[in-house]
Amino acid sequence: MYKLKSKATPLFFIGPAVLLLVIFSVVPILISIGISFTDMNLIGLANWAQIKFVGIENYIDLFTDKVFIKSIGNTLFYVIIGVPLAVISSFVIALLLNQINKWLSATFRIIYYMPSITNIVAIAVVWGFLYNQDYGLFNYILSVFHIDGVAWLENPHIAKLSLILMAVWKSNGVSMLIFLAALQSIPRSQYEAADIDGASRWQKLIYITIPAMSFATFFVTVTTLIGWLQFFEEPFVMTEGGPLDSTNSMALFIYQEGFQFNEFGYGAAASVVLFAVIILATILQFKLRKSE
Amino acid sequence: MHARNYWGKTLTTIILTIGGILVALPFIWMILSSFKDEKEVLSIPPTLIPKHPTFHHYIELFQNLNFGTYFTNTLIIVVFSMFGLLLNTMAGYGFGKFHFKAKEFWFIIVLMTMMIPGQVSMIPTYLILNKMALTNTMAGIVLPGLVAAFNIFLIRQFMETIPDDLIEAARLDGAGEFYIFFRLIIPLSKPILAVQIILTFIGAWNSFLWPLIVANDESLYTLSVGLSLLQDENVTNYGLQMAGAAFMVIPILIIFIIFQKYIVEGFNFTGIK
Amino acid sequence: MTQAWLSSKKGFLSFHYFINGVLILKNKKARFIAVFLIIAALALSACSSGSSDSKSDDKTIKVWTMSPALKDFAKKYTKESGVKVEVQSIPWDSAHDKLLTAVASGKGPDVLQIGNTWVSEFAEAGTFLDLSKYIDDYDNLNPDNFYDSAIETTKYDGKTIGIPWYVDTRALFYRTDILADVGYPKGPETWDDMIDASKKLAARGKDQYAIDLPATDPQFPFMLAWEFGWNYDIDKGVDNFKEQSFKDAIALHHLFYKEGYSQTGKGKEFFQSFSDGSKPMFISGPWDIKTINDRAPEIKGKWDVRLMPKQENNKSMMGGAHLAVFHNSKKVDQALDFINWMADPETQVDWYKTNSELPANKKAWDDPVLADDPKISTFGEQLESTQALPLIPEYERMGQDLIDTLEQINRGGVDIDSALKDYQSKEEKVLKD
Repeated sequence: MYKLKSKATPLFFIGPAVLLLVIFSVVPILISIGISFTDMNLIGLANWAQIKFVGIENYIDLFTDKVFIKSIGNTLFYVIIGVPLAVISSFVIALLLNQINKWLSATFRIIYYMPSITNIVAIAVVWGFLYNQDYGLFNYILSVFHIDGVAWLENPHIAKLSLILMAVWKSNGVSMLIFLAALQSIPRSQYEAADIDGASRWQKLIYITIPAMSFATFFVTVTTLIGWLQFFEEPFVMTEGGPLDSTNSMALFIYQEGFQFNEFGYGAAASVVLFAVIILATILQFKLRKSE
Repeated sequence: MHARNYWGKTLTTIILTIGGILVALPFIWMILSSFKDEKEVLSIPPTLIPKHPTFHHYIELFQNLNFGTYFTNTLIIVVFSMFGLLLNTMAGYGFGKFHFKAKEFWFIIVLMTMMIPGQVSMIPTYLILNKMALTNTMAGIVLPGLVAAFNIFLIRQFMETIPDDLIEAARLDGAGEFYIFFRLIIPLSKPILAVQIILTFIGAWNSFLWPLIVANDESLYTLSVGLSLLQDENVTNYGLQMAGAAFMVIPILIIFIIFQKYIVEGFNFTGIK
Repeated sequence: MTQAWLSSKKGFLSFHYFINGVLILKNKKARFIAVFLIIAALALSACSSGSSDSKSDDKTIKVWTMSPALKDFAKKYTKESGVKVEVQSIPWDSAHDKLLTAVASGKGPDVLQIGNTWVSEFAEAGTFLDLSKYIDDYDNLNPDNFYDSAIETTKYDGKTIGIPWYVDTRALFYRTDILADVGYPKGPETWDDMIDASKKLAARGKDQYAIDLPATDPQFPFMLAWEFGWNYDIDKGVDNFKEQSFKDAIALHHLFYKEGYSQTGKGKEFFQSFSDGSKPMFISGPWDIKTINDRAPEIKGKWDVRLMPKQENNKSMMGGAHLAVFHNSKKVDQALDFINWMADPETQVDWYKTNSELPANKKAWDDPVLADDPKISTFGEQLESTQALPLIPEYERMGQDLIDTLEQINRGGVDIDSALKDYQSKEEKVLKD
């Protein structure tokens, strides 16, 4: 068992994990892709003989479905604004946490991680209050400065931004941890050498820290992008996609079609579209990284 | 130089403190609200400190929760998830530090599994478990979530920072592959493993959907499922929900406090001056 | 800088030499891993054989419910009949998912609770056993025992798919003191009264409204339409939504937002605005009697519940849940015996005392516990004037689309005719698929 032939070694390391992933993730995905070409609903689920193959009809319907088109637009909006904000803010927090002394840093690490472990209902209640148009804290603060209240969740344009702010707040914790861990992989001696050369703090940041963190930045960017393309929880608990579908996301659309209305074929087709978008975005990122 | 450093640190601390208050507020509200009565919990404007503190919700929690069974099940899932973490780490190392045929292809397969929303694959996964006769078993609850592409990807990325010749040197010295993995790679990956342990623990500790879907018997339910059973159909009991959430978060905080120091371990010996 | 990099690598290498020093351990290590893997595998397989589905003696039935209180409650039945009831409670929010997987795999319980708005979608998929030929054999299962509209929701495609367990409906909660000030001490009797009262209530000043309408509840617009004499006729399909009575109901709904009788945004929690008088009316179910008692004790004696305001009639919705038998249950007789026990008037009163859910069996309402409680008996009276929601699998989507349509009218400023036209073409497609 112990002395493995070199060819079998990588197989041994990746084998168990890949096998489990294939059984419990890849096969279900393939099944879902298959379902997307059928009219499967609850009846079909109970009795497979009732399922009809409908070719690409679901896909044609999707691209004439106003709600779906709108949810694609909203999702792109979330991604374009949200991803850079989320990556940069967690990076900055990690850097700042690295500047202060041990005891303070340990305390702040816990504090900044708290949003990730706060119950979603508590989050919804507290943010619901912050955003409440008539009694909320944000509008109260604005009123002190004689600024008119903002319809945080009621105005179709502002509601998207409000949800982004909330999601960035919530997602920072995990990325921050990864950045903190990555900061440890930078050899101390590099900074020491830079100190000897009289480099300023900015120079050290730009010439040592940021390049050395590229592996972690890449990871955080890719996973954040995937996460934001699947943006779901915030509109689900705060707005249910409203007002007027302005906060509806692709993932929420899939949830509604597939699980509220039992249109599994249609929901699966929507998720294949989302899947394709995510793959394209990810491949693009890998290509960009390679070319660097 | 020293003075500038001092002011910089003070400024950083002030910024972090202000940000910290904003960030921690809902958490603090969650904890404090678990001691409020139902009337106060949703009052607008909200109160932070309970006016009439009560342990009522906690008492209700412990009276109605079949604590023993749910806790045991949750712990079993946590233990297996740590085994899953080992598999993830091995796979991440395999992808990061070995060259083999179709490596890119397999890695893309792994990444793909992150990209489809979980709900879509719920029913197919259940049917697979059913075919394997694993419904209503602990194995059926544990297996679908054992391996996570997120973790594999994270480890793989981290492996980039470990120099190849280090591993080669160990091989030349006759160290076996396992030996290298456990004695060289794992200690070097401590910071990222600490992150993984925290994330894996939280995932397993809160596991909800599979225990519910796979179990045909309440004896396989977890704490999360048990807590959600206390909710009424029509009226949300926020105080009780906050008490449940506060109770669930304690072990997470403990794990976090234990492992967060490994994330930055060693930093203070040679920290940035 | 390369120098620095090398020196750190040296650190790694010295670590590696340290490893060489303990190489002797390596076989043990390998063995340890092997043992660990084997134990893990064994544990998993042990767990899999640990609990199995094979508790299938005749003396046990399996029940799925969303009311955890049933677990202790059913022990009384076990005592009487000797049949063990294995209750599995499922959280409401996940019950739909759980049912889906049961439908997909054909692995379900013997008896299951089903919310009455889910009946048609799951019945269409053949989830339930047709009980038609059994109901005569059991005294308590006679349809005459129950509210008509509750029975209506147990029927699908000529089959009887369940027996009503408990019911609920909606009525009007109002502040007696504030409504008296505007001339309606007993609350508005008709929708005309309601509009008149609302006008006066909204005129009280800024941030003063008349009523908190259930804006996200898809049942509410249907209730309004019924009161205008509309009813969903399955054979007519989308033409139902072209009727004048339906349009009148939508127009009435819109009036409350247009005139500012109801607040468009979220505002305060309903019990707060009920208590401070800014929204002295709301429409809800029996559970909110307790909510107001608990969360707004300061207005005790200043509020009451009354029947829905009348237009052509004052119909409210029939809600609640049924007990059904899973299609492939092997213990049909035991399952029905249990359901028969649950439907007994005495059990129904007991269940009301245990879990405050209203009896579906009309005889249970004679019990003083219900009859002597004025607010509860108002709901009892309202139950006599109820209607089942459209019994079609597409209902869920129809309701959701209607809510979206109303949002476009009330918030998006789209005019009623064109919004309704959109709605009709949407539903035409939904019904066709």
